[in-house]
Amino acid sequence: MLNNPVIARELLGLLRTRRSIAILTAVAVAFSLLIIARWPSDGVVDLSGATSRDVFRVFAYSLTAAVALLVPVFPSTSIVQEKQTGTLALLLNSPMGPVAIYCGKLIAALGFVLLLLSATLPATAACFTLGGVSLFDEVLPLYLVLGVTSVLFTTWSLLVSTVAITTDGAVRGTFGGVLVMFLLVLLPHYFLDGSESSLAGIAAILRNVSPVPAIMDVVGHADVGSRQLVSQNSGVAAFTLFGGILSILFAGMTIGRLNQTLLDRARSQGNVTDDRGTGVRIFRRLMFLIDPQRRKSGIGPLTNSVMVKEFRSRQFGRLHWLLRIVGGCAIVSLGLAFAATLGSEEWGVETIGAIIVSMQAALIVLFTPSLASGLISSERESGSWELLRMTPLSAGRIVRGKLLSVIWTLLILLMASLPGYGVMIWIKPILEEQIIQVLICLAVGALFAMLLSAAVSSFFVRTAPATVASYSILLFLWAGSLLVWLGRDAPFGYSAVQTALSINPMAAALSVIGTPGFESYNLVPVNWWVTGVSSGLLLVILLIQTWRLTKPE
Amino acid sequence: MVSQSPVVEISDLTKRYGEFTALDSLTLSVDRGTILGFIGHNGAGKTTAIRILVGLARPTSGTATIAGADCVKQARKVKHLVGYMPDRFGSYSNMRVREYLDFFGAAFGIKRRVRNQRIDEVLDVTASRYMQDRYVEALSHGMQQRIGIARTLLHQPEVLILDEPANGLDPQARIEMREILLRLADLGKTLIVTSHILPELARICNQVAILHRGKLQACGSLEEVTRQFQQNRMIEVELAGADEVDHAVSVLRQHSDTAGDVVPSAAESIVRFRTEKRDAELGNILSALVSANVRVTQFREVASDLEEAYLSVTRGENNNGDQQAATASESTGAEAVSTEGSEASGAE
Repeated sequence: MLNNPVIARELLGLLRTRRSIAILTAVAVAFSLLIIARWPSDGVVDLSGATSRDVFRVFAYSLTAAVALLVPVFPSTSIVQEKQTGTLALLLNSPMGPVAIYCGKLIAALGFVLLLLSATLPATAACFTLGGVSLFDEVLPLYLVLGVTSVLFTTWSLLVSTVAITTDGAVRGTFGGVLVMFLLVLLPHYFLDGSESSLAGIAAILRNVSPVPAIMDVVGHADVGSRQLVSQNSGVAAFTLFGGILSILFAGMTIGRLNQTLLDRARSQGNVTDDRGTGVRIFRRLMFLIDPQRRKSGIGPLTNSVMVKEFRSRQFGRLHWLLRIVGGCAIVSLGLAFAATLGSEEWGVETIGAIIVSMQAALIVLFTPSLASGLISSERESGSWELLRMTPLSAGRIVRGKLLSVIWTLLILLMASLPGYGVMIWIKPILEEQIIQVLICLAVGALFAMLLSAAVSSFFVRTAPATVASYSILLFLWAGSLLVWLGRDAPFGYSAVQTALSINPMAAALSVIGTPGFESYNLVPVNWWVTGVSSGLLLVILLIQTWRLTKPE
Repeated sequence: MVSQSPVVEISDLTKRYGEFTALDSLTLSVDRGTILGFIGHNGAGKTTAIRILVGLARPTSGTATIAGADCVKQARKVKHLVGYMPDRFGSYSNMRVREYLDFFGAAFGIKRRVRNQRIDEVLDVTASRYMQDRYVEALSHGMQQRIGIARTLLHQPEVLILDEPANGLDPQARIEMREILLRLADLGKTLIVTSHILPELARICNQVAILHRGKLQACGSLEEVTRQFQQNRMIEVELAGADEVDHAVSVLRQHSDTAGDVVPSAAESIVRFRTEKRDAELGNILSALVSANVRVTQFREVASDLEEAYLSVTRGENNNGDQQAATASESTGAEAVSTEGSEASGAE
């Protein structure tokens, strides 16, 4: 198996990139600094080991977050890039079978993960030296969970890489899936815990897909927000089982897809409804409220042409897709509000509000970087930036058009949940002010995510790394602050958590709506100021960088 | 069709990237209605010159104007005067050809009604009307090149600058491309076309400029440039049999001024040689061959073409470069190194 030429090519190719060296160095330095920062400086010996356990907790959560962010970066584009450059056809044409190709890629990716985890060993050793941390009960289970997480996310990334058509699409799909498996699967259990319904049972099983309960189990953490996120049985064993099953499933699906059919795609003939028969036209009129295959009229005189172009060139930017997404959001939010009216004694309007906020926050985190991280970089990657520069469009007009295309989409998403909030206000009118504040938090959060991704995009020539960077920064800021919140009993105090959450508009929304665990923090209006000023700075950076790119070299 | 008023004027244009000089004091003018073929190998400075002309790059020194507008100071005006097709198509996904053209028309501020009419016109000129509903990313390379030209025509520019329009096209698409370019010239457009496919350029251009290592080596009409490099005429002597080749070579070496350039081909029973001699002197060589009992069946001059002229220029320059390198190495005692390597890594 180790004679597999794909392993050497992939791993060497990966290690030769400046990005991989930067990641390895950054991980080693960051974790060493983390340990140094938490290392006791006074001369008092902590015989109980409580201090070292606190350090170990922070270390374990940070390492898990780092693995979730960094592991998918390379495998997510591994196959789609080969598809684009044509080397996949050469590989499939060689005597190597799909299993050998897949194993080569998987082992190479995991080889890099091994190096990544090795870079954290000195920090782990320092933790262990402090005392109070058991090698067999804590350190080894932690690395087992990290290993399973790496395998799970790598197999997922490779699967997405076979499905995606573009590298940035692969990155979006991969990080979307990682977010779902890492965080979102915890939400149903978080909200349904204590309920007798069968849904609560399913939610309890579903949470085992995430490594977070297993890590909490390893570090001996208490429950979160009075909810039993930690498994009652062994979280590590449950995650290992579920992670293993999912990894095998993803690997099987990927191997099944690794054949010539991946490359066997006919060019679209570009049929338009206007040229088809009456029957087809009537059928499509009934099926589509707005038929994407109809001929479009020209761009109107008062419309920003770049904005229209962005909508038209985006797969889900066409109106029929936006309507479907809005419809889905509206139905879910109304359904939740309806559930609140029926079972308000059990859940409470606040809990329903928290669910809607969480769903919207997830949508913003998932959608915004995927919409905005390619705004400039995709133009530069495809060569169309040269064409845009040759038009009389100013940098300001280009930026305005591009941002508007994202703003409208996000606005539609946010507006889609208004019926749900409306029902909540109708049930409990006192909530009106809170809901307005929640909407402001979400809007400010969406604006920040958009401007961050767009600004990042303007510094990259290719969209895939721009998307990775956008997701990484956003998740680092928002998921990172939630990790601090997880350690709010120890090692972080109230003020540290308050400060960390003040950069997270989603946490601010949850605190405003009174979500358990967040209700004690007062994050508004500090959060609006922090996010607003940051957004303003990002907009200035975006404008300057775009202006610079439009100028002659 | 060609008028005598220059529409493109380049004066002493230089572009340096650090130590590397991509363009060295280029001076050139192109008359209205001309099709100028810009020739040079990779790294010669063609794309650098073009990018300065269209306002995408800033020269280190010198000036360039299009229809009187300075390419640096009046970049916005130049955008309306020039239609530029880069060597990369620059497609957008999920967009149909008509939507693609509509976007660029709107970006140039063409009103919707006029724009629709213009799109029809440019699709007709490039014979692409049938692909208006296709997705741009699904088009073949040849189709994309045609849509690229259609895009450059949308805002009715005076000058069209096309970077490698025939690159990667199959023979049929290349013929179609040639026809489109000639049609554009008939419409009174001034065209600047770069290409590596010299026979293609020779068929459409009425002016050529040869660029080598950032310097302009030759410029003028096709006839002027080929005549300029015709001093070394290629003469072909066809013999009655292959056994006479060696004898003919020895006679030619005695009489030819460029003895080293006598190339025998026994398989073809032909001997070729280069000479600067005039027709009367060539008669003496023929007489010498006949007197030496060499049975000559044909004695003819091989017509020189653009490819030949280009090779003469670059060969001469490379030899000069090599000689300079050799001189330098002799003086320093270092090993002579060809400058080709640094050329290939140039900022083209």
